[in-house]
Amino acid sequence: MKKKIIAALLVASMATGLLACGNNASGDTSTGSSDAATTTTAEATTVDTDTTTLRICLASEPDYLDPALNSSVDGACLAVNSFVGLYTYDENNNLVPALSDGEPEVSEDGLHYTIKLIESKWSNGEELTANDFVYSWNRAVAEETAADYSYMFAPIATNEDGTLKVEATDDYTLEVELNAPCAYFYDLLAFPTFMPVYQPAVEEANPDGTNPGAWAQEAGFVSNGAFTLESWTHNESMVYTKNPNFYRADEVKLEKLEFMLSADDTAIYAAYNNGDLDFDDQHIPSDEIEALANNPEFHVIDTLGTYYVGFNVNSDLFDGLTADQASKMRQALSLLIDRQWIVDTVEPTEKTPADTFIPDGMVDGNGEVFEAADFGYYDATTTGAGNVEEAVKLLEECGYSFTDNGDGTYAISPALEVTYLTNPSSTHEGVAQCIQQDWSAVGISVKVETEDWNVFLEDRKAGKFDIAREGWIADFNDPINMLEMWISNGGNNDMQLGNDPSNTAAPDWTKYDELINEIYAETDYAKRAELMHEAEDMLMSTYAVVPVYYYNHIYLQKSNVTGVYATTNNNIYFMYATKTAE
Amino acid sequence: MAKYIAKRILLAIVSIWIITMITFIAMNAIPGGPFNKEKATSEAVIATLEARYNLDKPLGEQYVLYMKNVLHGDWGISLHSGRPIWNDMISKFSVSAKLGGRAAILAIIVGIILGSIAALTRNKLPDRLIIFFTTLGTAMPSFVLATLLLLVFCLKLGWFQVYSASNPNYTLPVIALSVYPMAYITRLTKTSMLDALNQDYIRTARAKGVSKIKVIFVHALRNALIPVITYVGPMVAYILTGSMVVENIFTIGGLGSTFVTSITNQDYSTIMAVTIFLAILMVIANLITDIIYKLVDPRIKLD
Repeated sequence: MKKKIIAALLVASMATGLLACGNNASGDTSTGSSDAATTTTAEATTVDTDTTTLRICLASEPDYLDPALNSSVDGACLAVNSFVGLYTYDENNNLVPALSDGEPEVSEDGLHYTIKLIESKWSNGEELTANDFVYSWNRAVAEETAADYSYMFAPIATNEDGTLKVEATDDYTLEVELNAPCAYFYDLLAFPTFMPVYQPAVEEANPDGTNPGAWAQEAGFVSNGAFTLESWTHNESMVYTKNPNFYRADEVKLEKLEFMLSADDTAIYAAYNNGDLDFDDQHIPSDEIEALANNPEFHVIDTLGTYYVGFNVNSDLFDGLTADQASKMRQALSLLIDRQWIVDTVEPTEKTPADTFIPDGMVDGNGEVFEAADFGYYDATTTGAGNVEEAVKLLEECGYSFTDNGDGTYAISPALEVTYLTNPSSTHEGVAQCIQQDWSAVGISVKVETEDWNVFLEDRKAGKFDIAREGWIADFNDPINMLEMWISNGGNNDMQLGNDPSNTAAPDWTKYDELINEIYAETDYAKRAELMHEAEDMLMSTYAVVPVYYYNHIYLQKSNVTGVYATTNNNIYFMYATKTAE
Repeated sequence: MAKYIAKRILLAIVSIWIITMITFIAMNAIPGGPFNKEKATSEAVIATLEARYNLDKPLGEQYVLYMKNVLHGDWGISLHSGRPIWNDMISKFSVSAKLGGRAAILAIIVGIILGSIAALTRNKLPDRLIIFFTTLGTAMPSFVLATLLLLVFCLKLGWFQVYSASNPNYTLPVIALSVYPMAYITRLTKTSMLDALNQDYIRTARAKGVSKIKVIFVHALRNALIPVITYVGPMVAYILTGSMVVENIFTIGGLGSTFVTSITNQDYSTIMAVTIFLAILMVIANLITDIIYKLVDPRIKLD
């Protein structure tokens, strides 16, 4: 026995020797690894006392750090912490001047803005002038830049050659001409797409014009915000360091922001619990959320956005019906959705059932909140099983007949099967199953179909569905952002409203298109708010858009961190945070 | 030998070319497109992007253009991030290779040791323990193993950080990557070692008075390694290119997750580049395996 073991050990050492010959280089790195292991072990046991570094996880690798090319929420968070525009949000979510020297001077007709700039510098020490804004804005709308958010510049008037009517009359004065008065112009000025970029760097990195984002693809690029990107290990981490040239650098207490680039809920949540992260934005495994309800580190804040069920008004579900009947059919289905149940069971994060499309809390551009507190198109807390009788009545008007099953449910004739399209996700599929259950009360059978994200987006846009899950988070705090999307043939008009005027089952949409144009042109903001209400009423009367709940935003933040704040469009400002020793 | 290698390289070029064709056709057959966004991008923007990446041209022309560029060393830029693909791929591969290389070495060394021990202590306690380990190692999916390692060594024992931007640690991901091949190599080594130990030449050698240790070293193990080498070649290629599961759980920017996300993003240029890269790697690994065969067993004729 002893001999055998000795023999085995010898075989082992020989095998090791054999392999070591061919793998010298790798062998060395392997040793390096165990050294690293020892050091990390030692560090992991010590408590994080580095109060100058905030360790954050927002999402996985961002596509673009160029504020003009970014169109993702996490990219916008990175942008607001490393760039700054003319306006910004303060910790109370108020719009305040940033590089703008106080409030701009606005002409009486609201079309002409004279914006004085404060003196500020790029991170490389160069002066930042009004010309930087002229360049950056024109670059963002230029066709060859192909920025997703170029349409955000639509309120600004254009010259014949397509450039914007934006002019630097001197180094620190910017003159801007609008098409029509814009109630949300300061929101735009704080939006990442409107942030300045450093012209020499942008042009140097993209000499042939085929890769406009090239200048900000690796660490070390010039910016003007609170932090600059020091290092970027793709798909692992980004380290931002304080920019001493930031216009409010003396108020920035943190030296570094470290971003974990991951979208793996398990890993992120584990890192947070292990003390390796100070801030975890939304990455919490859903079965853990309930247990966190009373945890002071767990935060829920409002987001201006609505999760809704969308009906394709051109679907053959409505063939043979009048537009009015089709709306009634959708109304019946809307009444049957138990919204309270969905927010209580599928969505664990205290979401509010929605009774309007424009989310609660959005302002109307005239200094008021758009939706009055007690207003709703229906009582969202009681929709569901209690409305079966009413739904049956509405569906009868659409030519369906019912037989009472005697247990509060009905059988429908002719049989009705609808398809509900969603992308794969436990939440979306959970909502679909609730709806499936709700509609079965009147005998409607629902087939839930899931499609991969890209295909889902394409089919939804092309109207290749009957009913689909939908959601919209507002880019800025004005209802127009959620109303203009429904114009005929609009890029986000998934419900196909007005896209086929020959379809008699779809609502006549010319009035809506006119309304939106009126809103664009209206100079009286009170009147404008009224028109927007009219547009929402019209949209809601079609029941093609059936709100389910308003979005919110959850995050975890260690108790030794204060001063982080988020806007209602989910941009998170880390720069004025402080971290105390644990 | 040189003739054989030349022939193999020629064949490899043909197979890589076929792979590029199949990949190109398959990825273009997937419904959806690379520029779909939840908030719709304007048609003008999409048109500019399509023109920039030649997607407005007929498929045949796109393929020819792409291959021409690749042959000139231009791998293009990512449709999603605009980043140059070659640099991105190489930097991610270096991460995957560093990780995979360590995992492969660990798997091979420990696998052969355990396999030999199991063969020499057949049906005794060490053998039983090793069988237990190999069964567990081959049966447990990597995401379970990786999560378990995270739970035990980071959260419970606190030996490692789950994540660190300044000081990333590869110990746990290397273990997570190596357990399966390690278990597999152990089983292979054990089986073929037992086989070899029962051969006549071993008995002859022993009868001639050659010491047991020498018999095991020189005669048994060398012959037992051939099936192991067959497995190790492709395994190394596979493990070097990374694993999405392990990379995601341990936040490692390797090639594995890049490949998978490029497919879900329909980032055509990245899909093509990574596929070609992996195919070349696989071909090289197989060629090296064949050459090692010859070195280990001179009886094998490569031609």
